[in-house]
Amino acid sequence: MIISADRLTKQFRTLRRKEGPLGAIATLFSRDYEIKDAVRDVSFKLDAGELVGYIGPNGAGKSTTIKMLTGILVPTSGTCTVDGIVPWADRQANGRQIGVVFGQRTQLYWDLPLIESFQLLRAIYNVPAATYERNLREFTELLGLDEFIRTPVRQLSLGQRMRGDFAAAMMHEPKVVFLDEPTIGLDVVAKENIRQFIARVNRDRGTTFILTTHDLADIEKLCARIILIDHGRKLYDGSVETIKGRYGRNRTLTADLNCENCDDVRITVPGANVVSREGPRIVIEFDRDAVRADELVVKLAQHYELRDVTIAEPPLEAIIRDIYQHGLGDGSVAARDGLLVTADVETVS
Amino acid sequence: MFTHIGSIALRVYLYYALWSALYANNGPQQSFSFKDIITYSVLALLVGLIYNVDGPYVVREKIREGNIAIDLMRPISVPLYVFADTVGQAGFALVQIAVALPIAIGLLALTGTHISAPASPLIALAFLVSVALGFLVNFFLDLLMATITFWTMEIFGFQLMVQFITSLLAGAVVPLQFFPSPVTAIAQASPFAAIYNAPLSIYLGKYQGPELLSTLALQAVWVVVFAVGALALWRVGERRVVVQGG
Ligand SMILES: Nc1ncnc2c1ncn2[C@@H]1O[C@H](COP(=O)(O)OP(=O)(O)OP(=O)(O)O)[C@@H](O)[C@H]1O
Ligand SMILES: [Mg+2]
Repeated sequence: MIISADRLTKQFRTLRRKEGPLGAIATLFSRDYEIKDAVRDVSFKLDAGELVGYIGPNGAGKSTTIKMLTGILVPTSGTCTVDGIVPWADRQANGRQIGVVFGQRTQLYWDLPLIESFQLLRAIYNVPAATYERNLREFTELLGLDEFIRTPVRQLSLGQRMRGDFAAAMMHEPKVVFLDEPTIGLDVVAKENIRQFIARVNRDRGTTFILTTHDLADIEKLCARIILIDHGRKLYDGSVETIKGRYGRNRTLTADLNCENCDDVRITVPGANVVSREGPRIVIEFDRDAVRADELVVKLAQHYELRDVTIAEPPLEAIIRDIYQHGLGDGSVAARDGLLVTADVETVS
Repeated sequence: MFTHIGSIALRVYLYYALWSALYANNGPQQSFSFKDIITYSVLALLVGLIYNVDGPYVVREKIREGNIAIDLMRPISVPLYVFADTVGQAGFALVQIAVALPIAIGLLALTGTHISAPASPLIALAFLVSVALGFLVNFFLDLLMATITFWTMEIFGFQLMVQFITSLLAGAVVPLQFFPSPVTAIAQASPFAAIYNAPLSIYLGKYQGPELLSTLALQAVWVVVFAVGALALWRVGERRVVVQGG
């Protein structure tokens, strides 16, 4: 176990700003606080080498959790350790063993060429020369840095900068890497490149990753496990497969019929809905547990000649969207199946 | 850099015009001869090039924008890092001074005015030590102001006010000796005097023997006071830091 969070809680106290010409001064002396629960009682454990997706809607508390794990924020209550170190108690020691990529900010030096940022980081982290050379070579190749390694960072495109940031975060070979929306704003090719890089470092070096993202394709491609939070509370902690199995029971069958008067086609199967009809193409949605796919296909085939049939499970995105919007159902299913690790089911709205 | 030097030349000329008008009408002020006051002003400008390097300013911006997160996740002491950065920039300011000084001297020579040289090598040495101490007082004062940003994110007006008071009480504009005597006493006892007034007065030979030593000692005391204050406050601030933005 390399990371353990134990009932981590963070409340933000923000002063209610005073209006008017002397508002700034009045605010300075005001005691009128607003309390915001950003993270509430979040606990989890990570084993070394895991690659975990930490997801939740905007404002769920993801970045706040990461800031506590990196030692930048002190929790209001609860505690956590990263490889035995309490991050905020020994921020510098923790700094040596972690790497961080914030999609929203860069850790590169704005006015310096990329390579000089690396050299500075090498000095800051005290990376042995041989290690530095090896990593530089490997990362340059994996991330295709050589085109722009001598360009000042401020002239880099977002995608180039992000690749630079990834190399910067890994140069000192951290045990744990925190990625806060690392693929935000990247094009499909750049995203894929970054994903492969993460997967590769995770596999070859056994580096532990926590990844927050709103692009669930990142999760599908990289993570076996997700932790889902909303309103600061943990809703789900488990495998992607389980959540798909439990909440993604709907299947979509798309069939191209060989029909002359396609508009006359009538299909009724209990538990299945025709969601769209367009010429010979028919799309049927059904509950995997209520309707057997083979029966559905047989039934169709009895009446029509089928040119093509595909059955798809819903993308993770659809499942997660459903959970964000409707919660984890009544909670009992999840609780019974041991999905819901948090005790307070009633907060799931 | 050249615009900088241009503006220095302009300010040297303005000081010259200002003080010559004042001295022509009112005669010498306090113990400052015309040559003294011109020397004081020119040196204040040049030393100001070093002092105006506000390394901690960056920290203030980083705290407000949340980029301090990047520094805090690294295995570094932020004050130490900022100090190194400030010293580096001050080194660059020294280069500027090396260019600006001959220009200022040449410009004044055109008007027939000359800047005094230090009275002795010992005075010159004491001056350099005093500037170094002034630099430290100034740095820790800046750091202290930057650290306060942890508590008050929007402090710009306050900063400006402090800057103004500092430069006035420090003797960056007018020698403190020019104030009414009770004010002079207070200003000289204030930590700000350690920044400009002490080194410049030492250069002009206003302090001799024990007085010179006690001036340097007082500067050193202020260095320690501000260093301890700023670093202690930093430790507290760092632990309660609220990093802005997602
Ligand atoms: N410095 C702060 N002061 C006050 N409230 C804050 C602060 N930082 C975050 N919050 C609040 O805490 C909650 C959680 O914020 P956080 O940044 O952790 O969300 P997030 O899950 O990272 O969201 P996103 O997906 O939008 O990045 C939000 O409601 C936010 O408004
Ligand atoms: Mg965030």
